[in-house]
Amino acid sequence: MKEAYVNHLSFALGDRVATVEESAESGRTLSRAASLREAGFRMHYLSAPEDTAYDLARRSVEEIKKELGEIGAIIYSTCIPANGNVGDEKKFRESRDVKYLMDFAGSHLQSDFGLEKAMVIGLTQQACTGMLGALRIAKMFLATEGEIRRVLCVTADRFPEGALYEQAYNLISDGAAACVVSDEPEGFRMVAGHGITNGAMALASDDETVGSYFGYSHRIIQETLAKAGLQLSDIAWIVPQNTNIKASQILSRLLKFDHERFYYPTIEEVGHMISGDNIVNLRRLVEDGKVRPGERVLLFMAGYGLNWQCVILEKR
Amino acid sequence: METRKILITGGDGYLGLALAKRTLQSTEENLLLWVRASDPEEFAAKQERIRQRLGVEADRVFCRWGNLVNPDPFDTIDPAEIKVIIHSAAVTRFNVDETTARRVNVEGTEKLLRLASQCPFLERFALLSTVYSSGLKPGPIEEEAMDNRAGFANYYEWSKWASENLLLTEFADLPWQIFRVATVIADNEEGTVTQQNAFHNTLKLFYYGLLSLIPGKTETPLYFITGEFAANAIFSLLSTSLKKSIYHIAHTKEESLSLGTLIDLVFETYGERPEFKMRRVLKPLYSDAESFDLLAQGVNTFGAGILNQSVSSVAPFSKQLFIQKEVQNRNLVSALDDYQAPDARRLVRNACDYLVRTKWGRELQHASR
Repeated sequence: MKEAYVNHLSFALGDRVATVEESAESGRTLSRAASLREAGFRMHYLSAPEDTAYDLARRSVEEIKKELGEIGAIIYSTCIPANGNVGDEKKFRESRDVKYLMDFAGSHLQSDFGLEKAMVIGLTQQACTGMLGALRIAKMFLATEGEIRRVLCVTADRFPEGALYEQAYNLISDGAAACVVSDEPEGFRMVAGHGITNGAMALASDDETVGSYFGYSHRIIQETLAKAGLQLSDIAWIVPQNTNIKASQILSRLLKFDHERFYYPTIEEVGHMISGDNIVNLRRLVEDGKVRPGERVLLFMAGYGLNWQCVILEKR
Repeated sequence: METRKILITGGDGYLGLALAKRTLQSTEENLLLWVRASDPEEFAAKQERIRQRLGVEADRVFCRWGNLVNPDPFDTIDPAEIKVIIHSAAVTRFNVDETTARRVNVEGTEKLLRLASQCPFLERFALLSTVYSSGLKPGPIEEEAMDNRAGFANYYEWSKWASENLLLTEFADLPWQIFRVATVIADNEEGTVTQQNAFHNTLKLFYYGLLSLIPGKTETPLYFITGEFAANAIFSLLSTSLKKSIYHIAHTKEESLSLGTLIDLVFETYGERPEFKMRRVLKPLYSDAESFDLLAQGVNTFGAGILNQSVSSVAPFSKQLFIQKEVQNRNLVSALDDYQAPDARRLVRNACDYLVRTKWGRELQHASR
């Protein structure tokens, strides 16, 4: 099978920054500021009122636009399905014409960056795991569609004005992340990917989400390793989502994997940037010079739906 | 008719009331039930509940009230009217704090022992304890006095050991018996549950998919009994067995389940329900004690939901789930003519079924199958 490589990692955050104290004071969190700090969060980013999720997506791609090359497909992922649509509800109400409800963010991205050869795929059913889902689908494209050699994966979410910025006890940032998956041997080779969906828990409560976290996270990691024919000892780093540090500590103990090699240093400054956490942390792993060529990095994510996804990468 | 009475402290508690009921059914004795109350109104309410629970036999029941942390909680009791004392009053939560455990369970016991010393016609003093007063000691747990060298998983265990020790060292002249009771998981072998504890809280978390970790080792034996077995055994032992003896109101390791078997059985039973099967709740992962403590700290950070309450109630017991105890019950078996251990698998299945059917006691209209 044709190899796929992940490269050119970028992200963008909302313009406004708030500490956990400020957001707790403003009623944007359910938990107390002290609880969120204890969980590892310190600050988060919110979009300006006039900015959309698409604006964030644009900014994340802007940073890597010189690296895009000939993109054959765009996979545009959002956690909140409505963030993938820039339609105008008001115009629909006035005209009763549903075309105003079908203004697709991915199409705009294609146009705005002149990616004329790119087909556009929207991914809206995988919640926080969407970016990992995008990577997996990109790899499938490379393997099956000969003419597609580069895929732009984007994830973008911003919460509606007035929304709580806490989900399942995690502090949320508005943000977007992007990367390119191509057949060019650069960045990280995709070794394996795997996903689990438990639709019966589609509307899980926060406590059910927490309750299922360890069992399913453990399972997705083990199943992905098995799929790759690897052991956990073959993995140098685990890049998780930015969730309560105690959850990562517990999971590292369950896996018998050194917590020092769970790499998520951005939790303090960006909180849980929905589906972009893995990309933000992976980029930091590279920037910090932690990962060496040949080392394998395991990315995993749990999300509503309920979904779990995992991807194993190998540094070039 | 005999006028002297059997005093049961914690007379409105689970085992206290079960023993009262058993005694009324099988004897002509008069009972004096002592209950914890802060004021006459609370006492009146508890007294009414006791009378409702004991039914027609209640005319042989007298009630008194007090609080074990007060200087003289038994000052309304005439020592000359007491022939037997059964001390079942205690704080039995695993997460009890040290001060409360000491004041209620240890110092409270001491106050009762002082009363017992003044009873001129006392025939028996029965201290209800727990098999976990052995603390973190592994290996054979004999029906004899124990030291505290292995330490304890929580202050509840420590306080029960300290109460036993107090009796055995400072009040050894009393006609004492110690009954170390295992974990009561159901009223009877049919699985009816009217009193819930950390065991039931944990099963609830599993059923609702709220807990994907369990501290412990799969091979750790767990000692479960029914309330009916406990009441019948203690009742028999009070009247027929040797004074100055310790009895384990428990079944042996061979007659009990291991933690791993329990979890498998629970999920097997839950899995027979389509609504559970559909949700694809995974069996919990076995964790070390530190991981479970981290989980308890984590959920404690975020408020007072069911997850926090339940995890907090289990966490102080977690160390026990790593200890391979071999609880012995030779004294018990030799004293009871009709000793019989239940089918542990059937008991657990029935209890799970009852809990699910009644939604952990919230829908008692479904109690009958």
